[in-house]
Amino acid sequence: MPAFQILKEKLPDGVVILTVRGFLDAHTFEELEKTINDLFENGTFRLAVDLSGLDYISSAGAGVFIGAIGTAQENDGNIILMRPSSNVKEVFDLLGLSQIFTFKDSREEAVRALK
Amino acid sequence: MGQGLKDRLVVTNDTKYLIVVRDFIGRMIKQSRVTREDENKIVLAVDEAVTNIIEHGYDPGVEGLIELEVESEDTQFKVVIRDSGRVFNPESVGNPDMQRHIKAGRKKGLGIFLMRQIMDEVRYRFKDGVKNELTLVKYTK
Repeated sequence: MPAFQILKEKLPDGVVILTVRGFLDAHTFEELEKTINDLFENGTFRLAVDLSGLDYISSAGAGVFIGAIGTAQENDGNIILMRPSSNVKEVFDLLGLSQIFTFKDSREEAVRALK
Repeated sequence: MGQGLKDRLVVTNDTKYLIVVRDFIGRMIKQSRVTREDENKIVLAVDEAVTNIIEHGYDPGVEGLIELEVESEDTQFKVVIRDSGRVFNPESVGNPDMQRHIKAGRKKGLGIFLMRQIMDEVRYRFKDGVKNELTLVKYTK
């Protein structure tokens, strides 16, 4: 299994679901950053990110979301995070990001929050 | 008193070895008195320390070694990280203002904050012949 994997799914209403799996650290974060920047360049600013398959995140990984959420919101979009494991959620808590990011338990709720 | 546990790992300054560092620390923790609750956090703190050295310690293309020495005792889990890169004292770095970070789209500069949040001691010293020595300690009782 690769150390990190991103799946991208575009919904008919323009929302993009990103599913990230594996380890999101200083070695892999650039791949996610590039994927999000490419979406922004194509005018997609409403993103739901499924974290349920993410085994690990460091500040380099969380930094991708910190760096991107401002741009998304400035363009009438947002980044909604879904279903992090307790270990992954704990990192957002430690960084004080849990009040800044919206977390949802399902894809339906995440998509609804982006409308 | 229980038997102390000690081991070391040396990696080069490449982010591809972060996974090796995390596996090593995770293995040592499993043999220690550290609770499961603290396991992921200590692995993260060490990852952040090593990431800082890889990203800031050396000029691009310059290879350097990073040594990790773990000592697990009855009352504490200690990780000493040594490198010969640029002199860098994490104690000189303040805590980030997250709202400002987001407003500015800043993605970096959070590792030291995390280390301080997680570990009971974060000590730096400049050591002759080694240069940087960072000690991270978590109390286990």
